[in-house]
Amino acid sequence: MAKLKERELETPVSPDEDTVEIPVSNDLPAVREALAAKQLARGRALRTYVYLPLIFLTVALLGGLRLSGTDGSLIFVRPALICLIFAAILVLLFFRAGMLRLEGWFSEQMTGTQTVANGLVLASLFAAATQIFNSLIPEQGLPFWIISFCFLWVLWNNLFAEFDPKRLLKSLGAMFGLAFVTKYMVLANLTAPGGRSWLRSLIENPAQEAATWLLDLPRFSAGTGYIQFFAVLMFLLGLFLTPSATSKDR
Amino acid sequence: MKEKYIHILGIVLTLGYGGLVAFLYAAEPRSLEEFTTKARSAVENIATKGTVVIGTYEVDAAKFNEGLTAFREDRFPAARDAFERADPEKRDARTQFYIAYSFYRQGWGRVSNDDALFKLGVEAAERVRTLDPDFRTDDPGLQLKTPVELRTELEEGLAVTADDFNPLRVFRERK
Repeated sequence: MAKLKERELETPVSPDEDTVEIPVSNDLPAVREALAAKQLARGRALRTYVYLPLIFLTVALLGGLRLSGTDGSLIFVRPALICLIFAAILVLLFFRAGMLRLEGWFSEQMTGTQTVANGLVLASLFAAATQIFNSLIPEQGLPFWIISFCFLWVLWNNLFAEFDPKRLLKSLGAMFGLAFVTKYMVLANLTAPGGRSWLRSLIENPAQEAATWLLDLPRFSAGTGYIQFFAVLMFLLGLFLTPSATSKDR
Repeated sequence: MKEKYIHILGIVLTLGYGGLVAFLYAAEPRSLEEFTTKARSAVENIATKGTVVIGTYEVDAAKFNEGLTAFREDRFPAARDAFERADPEKRDARTQFYIAYSFYRQGWGRVSNDDALFKLGVEAAERVRTLDPDFRTDDPGLQLKTPVELRTELEEGLAVTADDFNPLRVFRERK
C-alpha cells in the first residue's frame, strides 16, 4: 500500500488526464471485521440453503426405507396420512416455540430467489418430519394405532405448552428416542425372523410367531434399525442447525 | 460466492435431490440394479411425453414393421408387444387398429371364441375410433377395414345367440 502511494506521488499527473480517487482506508481492523462478517454470512447461507436441505432430504429418503427380512431387498414405505398431519403439527410447534420465525423466513425485503430458497428449505423440513414419523410409527396393526395415539397426545399437549427452542429440541429428542426404542428394539425383538416356513417358525419361536401374528408386525431385516437410527440423528442435527430466521435482523 | 448464487445453488440442489427422493418412492426399486432399469424407463417415458407435448411424436417405424411381420405370421402376443413399443403413447390409429385386430385373430376360434381377448379387442377398437373416427385400413390382408366393422365383429363374437349352436359354424373363416 505504501509503495503504491509513493508511485502515485512520483508519477506526474497531467491536467488533461482523468484521475480516479482510490479510497485508502487506514482502519484495518474494521476492514477485517467486515470481511469476517461477509464470510460468516456466506457460511450461514451455505448452511441454510445447501447443507440443511441436503440433510432433511436425506432424512426424507431414509425415513421410509426398510430392508426386507427375507431377502434384504429395499422396500420404500410411503408415509401414511397421519404422518403428514403430525409433521404439520410439528412444524406449527416449531413456529410456536420460536424455533422458526415466520417473518424471519418470509418478508417483503427478501429477494425472489431467497423467498423461493427459504420455501424449499421449509418444504424439505416438512418432508423430513413426515418421514421421521413414517420411520418411528409402526407400519400396521395395533402398534400403529397405539404409537400414533401417543404421538398425537404429546404433540397436542405441546401445542399449548410454553416452550423455548432448546426445551423443544430436548423434548423432541426424548420423544423420538422413546418411539425408536419401542419400534426398533421392543417390537423388533417380538417379531419372528422371516424367510422360514410357518411350521418351523412355530416350533422354534412360538412366542415370537404368536406376537408377530397377533400384533401384525412386518418382518424387516435388522439393518432397518441402523438406517432409521441415523435418520433420527440426522433429523435432530438438522433441527439443531436450523436458524430461527434467515433475514439480517436475526 | 455471492449469497444470490448460494440461493440459486440451494434451489437447484433441493429440487434435484427432492425429485430423486420422490422418484424412488414412486418407482419403489427393490435393488440398485432395478433402480437403474426404472430410471432408464422413466427417462424414456419422459422423452416420449416430451415429444407429444412439442408435437413431434412419431411411431417407431422399425418396431411397427417388426410387429407387422409377427402379425402376418400369426404370432399375435409378439406382434402386440412390438406395436405397443412402437406406439407407447397409444396415439396412432393404424398401430392401435392392428392391436385390436390381433386380439380378434388370436381370440377367434372355429368352435368358440376367447371372450377375454375379444373384450380387449373391443377396447382397442374403441380407442381407434376415438383417435380417428374416419380410419380405414389399406391392408388388403384385413377383411374388416374400419374400427366399427371390427368392433361389430368382436361384439357379435361375445354375444351368445341361437346361431352359436349352428353346426355349420365350423366352416366359417376368420376375417
